[in-house]
This record gives sequence, C-alpha cells and structure tokens, in this order.
Amino acid sequence: MTNVLAATHPEGTVYGEIGDATVPLRFSASPEALSEEYTALRERAAVIDLGGHRLIEITGPAAVEFAQRVLARDVEYLTSDRCMMSLVLDEDGRIVDQVIAFGREDGILLESSCGAGARLLEHLRERNDEGAEIADRSEDLAIVGLEGPYAWGVVGRLIDAELASLPFESVAEATWDGVDVVFARTGFTGEYGYQMIVPRESAPGLWSLSVEHARPAGQEALELAMLEVRQPMPRHEATPGASVIEIGANWLVDITKESFVGREAVLEAFESGAGRSTVGFTCAVGVPAPGTRLMAGDQVIGEVVHAVHSVGLNATLGLARVDRDLAAAGLELSAGGVGVTTLTSPYIVPKSWSVPII
Amino acid sequence: MTIDELRAKAAERQQTCDQIKKMIVSRLDLEIEPGWITDDQPLFGRGLELDSLDVLELYVAIEAEFGVALYDSEMAVFGSVSRLADEINPALRARG
Repeated sequence: MTNVLAATHPEGTVYGEIGDATVPLRFSASPEALSEEYTALRERAAVIDLGGHRLIEITGPAAVEFAQRVLARDVEYLTSDRCMMSLVLDEDGRIVDQVIAFGREDGILLESSCGAGARLLEHLRERNDEGAEIADRSEDLAIVGLEGPYAWGVVGRLIDAELASLPFESVAEATWDGVDVVFARTGFTGEYGYQMIVPRESAPGLWSLSVEHARPAGQEALELAMLEVRQPMPRHEATPGASVIEIGANWLVDITKESFVGREAVLEAFESGAGRSTVGFTCAVGVPAPGTRLMAGDQVIGEVVHAVHSVGLNATLGLARVDRDLAAAGLELSAGGVGVTTLTSPYIVPKSWSVPII
Repeated sequence: MTIDELRAKAAERQQTCDQIKKMIVSRLDLEIEPGWITDDQPLFGRGLELDSLDVLELYVAIEAEFGVALYDSEMAVFGSVSRLADEINPALRARG
C-alpha cells in the first residue's frame, strides 16, 4: 500500500514493511529518535501516520447484517456518531485482525490494524454470503492520528477545540480546509487519542499543519506505548494456534452476542480452561526473542511472545504466555538465563489519566 | 522460590482477582461471567468500558466487601483488576 504521506516525511525517516504496508518506524535515523518520539507521545502530543491502517467500507442493504456476523462485538446499533474496537475472528476463533468499526449512515467503515488490511479484505470477501458491498476506501481516504496527554490542545489548533472533549469512541463530522473530515476520539495508548479521516489528497496538508503543533511519532513509539497499557497487538500476539482467551483479548469480543464468526470456538476455549495465559514481564538485561522459554527454576512454564526495550520503564518490557496457574504478577522467573519479574498492567500509567481537557 | 511456592503466590493473587471480578459483575449488573474479565485488561474507557458513575459504585463496593477505602486514590488503581488487587490486598504488592 503506497504511503500517501511519504513525500511530507523528513529525509532520514526509517521505514519498515509491516504486512501489506510500508510505514514510518521512526522519523529520524538518530539513535535517540525512538526515545524522543515516545516522550512526545507520553508527555505532550504526537501525530501518527496511520497510513498502514486500511479503510474498508461495507454498504448496501445487507451491510449491518454482514458486519454483525463477521465482527466479534455488537455493531447492530452502531450509529454514525460512534465507533468501537472489535476483533475479527475466523471460524476457529483465531484472530484475523483488530479493527475500529465506525458507524456510517449507509453501513459500517472498518479500519484495519497496521499492515493487516489486505488479509482482512480477503477474509471479509470470502465470507460475504449476505451480498454486502465491500470496498477498499484506502485509495481515496487517509487517516492521521493524534495521541498524547495534550493531544486535545492540538485538535483545537487544527479543527475545532470543542471536538477535543468528545466522549471516548465518539465520532463527529467536521470540515478542515474545505473538505469533510470524519473526526473520532479513539486512542491506542491510554493517552488522549484522536483520528481524522480525510480525502487522500488532503492528508499531506493536514499532516504538515499537525507537525507544527505535535511531534511525529512512528510505529515503534506507538507500539511501545500500546504494549505499556496492554493494548492487544495481533501482529505480535496472535501466534499460531493461540486462542483469544490465551491472548487475553476477551474484552474485544462480546460473548453475550448471540452469533458471530468464531463465537463457538472462543466459548469452547473459555469454558475448557485449557491453554496458557498472557502476562507482562520485565527484566534488566537484554530483550528476549519471541519463543524464548520462560522458566521457573528448571521447569519450562511458558515462552516469550513479544518483548522490546521500554523507554518509560528504562528496562525490557514483554509479554509471555505461561501455564495458567503461574499467570500472575509479582513472580520471579527466568528467560534465556536472565531473571524476569511478571508485572501488573498497565505497566506505565498514562499521563492523560491525571491531565484534564481544558 | 520453588515452583510450588510460585504457584501458591500466583494463586493468592488470582484469588483476590477473582473476588474483585465477582464484585464488579455483581455490583454493576454485567451480563458476563466474572472469569470473562481478564486480570490485565483496561477497565475504564477501553476494556470493560466503565464510566465515572461505575467508579463511584466500585468505591462503595470495595469498602463494603474488602474494608479498603480508595476514595482519595488516583485513577491508576483502577488500571486493571490486578492493579486493584494490589490495593485491596497490599501483601501481594509487598511481596511482588
């Protein structure tokens, strides 16, 4: 997928391939780039290039019926002023993607996670028994995100200060520079978060104005901040064979909903009590690779799923999948010969929790 | 620590977390089984999607059921069930 904002990003921007997308990982090759971008996101405000998130529109008379069947949360009454995060599952209850569903007058607009859009689109088209109209809107729309404890201040400078105080997961129609904007209060990091969906040709202008008020943060800073508040990241966590229950993404599934693709498999996994559970951990030395065995003494009790260096903790932060009777915070274990301690989420307390919108 | 000691320590936290989940489901009339709530998921905004009125209800419920007053605490104590367990059963945190 072509990055519409690439021409506006500074020389030296480090790009990476994530699934079907090429996205900015950091906006500078400087060794301090990640730390500086992360700090902007956690302490002030960051503008995020969400070009790796594909927009898929579901319309037509069967749109809601189809969306209700393929999404794991209840979107039957999702009005055009609301959005919600949901998993999309396959028949075996495996995670296909984590999406944001926007209610629209004529159906539902889905935002994929980074780089997962092509796979999601294929999944939806293969299951479209209802005959809904499914269109990839990423050819004509783009998304710019804001995250940070003072991101609300940027909203006022860009569009309209009143939009900043929208309730979480609210959506409003706005205009910027003469074009329609779908404006949403969202957030991936526990900080105040917003998204602006604009015509693709307007995105570079909106981005350029945004970076006058907020520092750009790349995918690495965004994913680190997501990990710190235990926001699920399917591309790291949905390892082959892992159920929603093992991943701990139950909250992105509405199990009280009567029927949806994957429901029976998820319910069976929940009721069986089988499998492992995911727990956060930290260690002072090194970043263990995914698959590194987690040990209690000389006994293998699980393995590392994902780990990075956390700028906020100034230590390694990771997720491990461990035997259920040892899935708890406060345990001293080891991974790859290094001592690790399991943690209580959130691993970093977002500053936005104590900063009011004024 | 032996594996049995680790299991015992994990079980103590899981027990407190289970009690909290039951309290949340019961007090807030949620239509889910307590076990559906995970120890680490967010509770407010994202996650369980509780609001400020729910917080007030939980303050009262926690004091009634656990004898712990959290009224002056920062919102961070409601960051997850496991974080709440640290407040309700400080022994978990002290030995964590």
